[in-house]
Amino acid sequence: MRMTFQQAVVAAIEDEMEADAGVFVMGQDIGRFGGPLRSNAGLFERFGAERVIDMPMSEGTMAGLAVGAALQGKRPVLDLMFGEFLALVMQQFLDAGAMHYYSGGAARVPFVLRVKYGIGPFHGHAYDHHSWLMGVPGVKIAAPSTPQDAYDTMRAAVRDDNPVLFLEHMALYHAGRAEVERRAPPLPLGPAVRAREGADVTVVASALMTKRALKAAETLDAEGIEAEVIDLRTIAPWDEEAVLASVHRTGRVLLLSEAISTGASINDVAATIAEKAFDALEAPVARLAPPPIPTPFARELERAYLPDETRIAAAARALARWTA
Amino acid sequence: MRRDNDVLEGMYRLMSLTRALDRVVGAHDGHWHGLEGEEAVAAAVYYGLREGDTVAPHYRGAITAALAKGADLGRMMAGCLGKTDAYHLGRHRSDVCGPPEHGIIGLYGGSLGPPLGYACGAALSHVMDGDGDIALAVFGDGTSSRGDCHEAMNMAAIKALPVVFVCQNNQIAISTPAPDGNGGPIFERARGFGMPGARVDGNDVLKVRAAMDEAIARAREGGGPTLIEARTYRVAGHFVSDAEDYRDAAEIAAWRDRDPVARYRAFLIEEGVMDAAAMDALDAKLVAEVDAAFTAAQDGAVPDPGDLMPEDVFA
Ligand SMILES: Cc1ncc(C[n+]2csc(CCOP(=O)(O)OP(=O)(O)O)c2C)c(N)n1
Repeated sequence: MRMTFQQAVVAAIEDEMEADAGVFVMGQDIGRFGGPLRSNAGLFERFGAERVIDMPMSEGTMAGLAVGAALQGKRPVLDLMFGEFLALVMQQFLDAGAMHYYSGGAARVPFVLRVKYGIGPFHGHAYDHHSWLMGVPGVKIAAPSTPQDAYDTMRAAVRDDNPVLFLEHMALYHAGRAEVERRAPPLPLGPAVRAREGADVTVVASALMTKRALKAAETLDAEGIEAEVIDLRTIAPWDEEAVLASVHRTGRVLLLSEAISTGASINDVAATIAEKAFDALEAPVARLAPPPIPTPFARELERAYLPDETRIAAAARALARWTA
Repeated sequence: MRRDNDVLEGMYRLMSLTRALDRVVGAHDGHWHGLEGEEAVAAAVYYGLREGDTVAPHYRGAITAALAKGADLGRMMAGCLGKTDAYHLGRHRSDVCGPPEHGIIGLYGGSLGPPLGYACGAALSHVMDGDGDIALAVFGDGTSSRGDCHEAMNMAAIKALPVVFVCQNNQIAISTPAPDGNGGPIFERARGFGMPGARVDGNDVLKVRAAMDEAIARAREGGGPTLIEARTYRVAGHFVSDAEDYRDAAEIAAWRDRDPVARYRAFLIEEGVMDAAAMDALDAKLVAEVDAAFTAAQDGAVPDPGDLMPEDVFA
């Protein structure tokens, strides 16, 4: 069936709710309203108010509720609306990440925290704060880039026994339909996919950056430069094996981020490559990320802020041509 | 009570200006959060403050607050469009965040709630300076569910801070009816925190103003905070392009009939403060002014992409 990213996320939740009575959704305006940007459209009509639970504007306690229910064995999926509100639930998410370890393995917190984010048509609530959570052991971060991947990843996230931050990019959300197979998750959270194969330069990306990297790769292809695009899918824990294998194939790697360069989740990838694939490198590890500035409002500044196809292609081209 | 025609006219002007903003900006921006039905609260709450007073306005009505505090209309309009002439230089949006140089504390992240704490901090500073200035902390019924709101009220009460808390209760938060967001009457919380609290008819600008006058006087005299719940109704959608399929059309229509602007106009006419022609002329003048400012802003300069300078984030 052809679906948008948004429809695929909802379909995945619907199928998990169908499969497991312990799965329920919660958040503000997710009932009759269907959630901001239709993020829960149809779930209320299908499952009713008992499993599609509207919340007051009390984010910290909402997350607390989710953690508490998850500790009892439920599988809450909390729609926090926007990633900009992550700061309001950080304590609960920090605690949730520590619970399994600190309880000596007794506690499990199967809790999915959904956030919309990213510069896009919505023109607001764009901030990408996911990198903060790189410093939180025990938490997983998923950032799908296509409708099928959104579907698969959401199902895997709901089935995961750990707290998962699920990122929904607003520029991908309603950006066209693609074929989605409603299947049980073929992969758990973790593995990256090679979205495009190429021998000259590796581009590591996620979410919107994957889409832009694939476009840039087409441009480069016409110039005779073969870019390999690794779509991380899961940003934490990220797939070291897939990234290192690709770096070994190409010897050159460009890392893309939508979170600001300072403290970005890709910095961890860069450090690991430097540590473990130093011998394979034929050029310095390159990064493209927004500058350490709050996400700006004016469209002109927004455009300059995010890595775009042209800059991605230019950076990959420079890497491919780099000689010591 | 001595009737002060300047105040009465000033509040009408602010109401009319609010309606003009709705018309002009709302026509352009699908994400504009309209104030139809709530104009009396904005006019009564933001009118007549001192220059030194600090205002953390509710985001719905934030431009009215900024203009009431002396911000420039042209620069506010430029701020809705991300233009260089804006106070924020195009870096941020003016519809939810007014200029601090005019004593406004807006939203600097997407989250509603934290400005209530900032208002308390401003009030603390006013106490330290002994300047008699106060802080307003205005929030919606939805925002009243945030821990920030509870904590700010408790903090202000304990420290006897000169803060006037105003809940602009329009009975809904996006699609969540107030009874699903608040376990009990909001104004009654005041008692639990140890401050005076009252509920007023938010569609009656004079009632809201009377409550404000009392609360502001108490705050200026060192009597501590007050909570006012102004009960009104969001006749507008959450934002302009809201499909509004979650609300009863008859209910909206009933409240549209209780239009606070029409009600106030009738009062002003009856009392002989302003006549209909004068008010119509003022309405038309303000629409023209806002329209001209908005059109000028549309043609304004846009930020240079080269302006993204990391050093700009540090003072
Ligand atoms: C902390 C936080 N949670 C959720 C939102 C998303 N949001 C934006 S406006 C709004 C409704 C606010 O309701 P209320 O405070 O009653 O103000 P109203 O819109 O009714 O004027 C919500 C939930 C937000 N901006 N901040």
